[in-house]
Amino acid sequence: MLKSINQKISIVLIVVAVGYLLLAFQLPSFPYSPVDADVLPKGLGVLLILLAIGLYFSKDTETEAEKEQRRIPKKDIAALLVVFVFVFLYIFCLEWLGFVLSTAIFIFFCSLYLGYKKHMTNALVAILFPLFMYVTFTELLKISLPQGILPF
Amino acid sequence: MGSIEGVLTGFQVAFSMEGILFVLIGVFVGTFIGMLPGLGPISAIAVMIPITFGMDPTLALVMMAGVYYGAIFGGSTSSILLNAPGVSGTVATAFDGYPMAQQGKAGKALAIAAISSFVGGTVSVILLMLLAPALSSVAIAFGPPAYFALMFMGLTAITSLSEGSTVKALISAVIGFMVATIGIDAQTGTQRFTFGNANLLEGIDFLVIALGLFALAEVCTLIINRKDLSIDNAHKLGSLRITKNELKEMRGPMTRQSFLGFLLGVLPGAGATIASFIGYITEKKISKKPEEFGKGSVKGLAAPETANNAATSGAFVPLLSLGIPGSGTTAVMLGAFLVLGVQPGPLLMTDHPEIFWGIIASMYIGNVFLLVLNLPLIPYISKILKIPRPLLISLVIMFSVIGVYAINFNTFDLYLLLLFGVIGFLMRIFRFPAPPFILAFILGGMMEQAFRQSLTISNGSLAIFIQEPIALSLLIVGFLSFMFPLVRLLRNRKKERV
Repeated sequence: MLKSINQKISIVLIVVAVGYLLLAFQLPSFPYSPVDADVLPKGLGVLLILLAIGLYFSKDTETEAEKEQRRIPKKDIAALLVVFVFVFLYIFCLEWLGFVLSTAIFIFFCSLYLGYKKHMTNALVAILFPLFMYVTFTELLKISLPQGILPF
Repeated sequence: MGSIEGVLTGFQVAFSMEGILFVLIGVFVGTFIGMLPGLGPISAIAVMIPITFGMDPTLALVMMAGVYYGAIFGGSTSSILLNAPGVSGTVATAFDGYPMAQQGKAGKALAIAAISSFVGGTVSVILLMLLAPALSSVAIAFGPPAYFALMFMGLTAITSLSEGSTVKALISAVIGFMVATIGIDAQTGTQRFTFGNANLLEGIDFLVIALGLFALAEVCTLIINRKDLSIDNAHKLGSLRITKNELKEMRGPMTRQSFLGFLLGVLPGAGATIASFIGYITEKKISKKPEEFGKGSVKGLAAPETANNAATSGAFVPLLSLGIPGSGTTAVMLGAFLVLGVQPGPLLMTDHPEIFWGIIASMYIGNVFLLVLNLPLIPYISKILKIPRPLLISLVIMFSVIGVYAINFNTFDLYLLLLFGVIGFLMRIFRFPAPPFILAFILGGMMEQAFRQSLTISNGSLAIFIQEPIALSLLIVGFLSFMFPLVRLLRNRKKERV
């Protein structure tokens, strides 16, 4: 039934819009305002449903080139997911290990995974860049970044 | 304060030691980031915002403006050398710039681009100086209905002018608007869509959206294409010299496109990308030798380069004098203003002449710096294109993480950043344009406020938008702009039938 990719997307969008509308209808009302906080969200929810229906019936079919662009090799999807996990771990450890340490580990292993072969350069960049950024932010700009387990 | 005094204050700021230093930093960083394929002015501005925290707002904004037009300037380098535009505003630059590079005249192409950018930038700053204060004094009389109508027009213009399907652009804008409703409602104090999470009370910060939808989404594309395109494909620079005849050829396009590009930059929705394409097309149409276009024509390179830089300054007119951005990039620029506690709009010129005129005056210096940076130093700066992709990817992620972490100092925002990175990447794959999203997100809160203020004034009657002539005419223009893609569609169908 769902032939084109646009139709599949439009179904997803309608689900999102309905969820948003359900939440919008639960917003508490406020008696002293001519336009309450729920008016705009309700309008937006309805608008998104209408647009999604429009997308479902829209006639613009994808060209072959566009389809080709959308087709991502499985290997690359795997690479994206791995980097995604790397970033997730990086964020997870940021406050615990501190900015310098977690960033250094992240840069080194992320670049290594993506195929960077010069290990010495990689290590140098991975250590110097976070240190430079850390000093710039904490000393020059007075914005504190997480110190973590390192003593400085 | 009179306007002449204001102008003088502005020049005083711009020509102070700090002023000159921060313009230099801004244009340098902008050129660097703009040169990197895919990373455009939005990413450049967003990455630089955390650095401005705690800085003097005037100097910070002078620097951010430099980042913006520097990024457009820098984008032309990768267009010419690699045929990989760093910025969408420089796509048209590659049409004639890359063929020229293939003929071994890359140096000449870079020099032509630098000179036309300089001319376009400088002429349009003069126009900006004339037009922005005039518009400010008109806009001071605008009430909430007119403001609402203005923002509405900006949004419809960007959706109808964006590439590809208009329905998709509209969906993108509506979702951006929806994300903007998250947080405490400013007028009633009601919590909307916060799920009881304290981190969401203030709403989602625009940097999370900007860095996610643009920088991280670009990182995903870079990961997929990590093996293509390296500097090895780039051609030798050759001499930078331009002959007298070539200068003569450039004169026409440079004059015309400075004005046309500026005008297109002022109009909402258009901006550098559209200005550069229109500049290219018009010059090709009026040229006596249109067949040379696309094969390394001097005119074909000068036109888009003049137009995109002129449009960049033009885009500052609505931003500074109305406080309303007309494009995704100026929307992020507005965010940079607000982060520093500066509200651009009709009052900026009178309340903070040092900021208003300081930014404008600094653009003269910025353009000179860009010319100097780009002419003799280009062979050295273009080495940045040699950064290996894996390292570049890791570093861009690091910059995004620092930027977002420095807003609230919690990791919750970072997880959101990751989420919007995924959303941005999916939008790219399925061809939903991101600029309407970011513009709607940033305008969302302001639009809702203006809408509700209008209805409070009118006691809930929608007629207020029709009774006020300015609001009415802007709304009509907004609706009419939807006819644009419709006309295009009909014309295409007719062509198909033929």
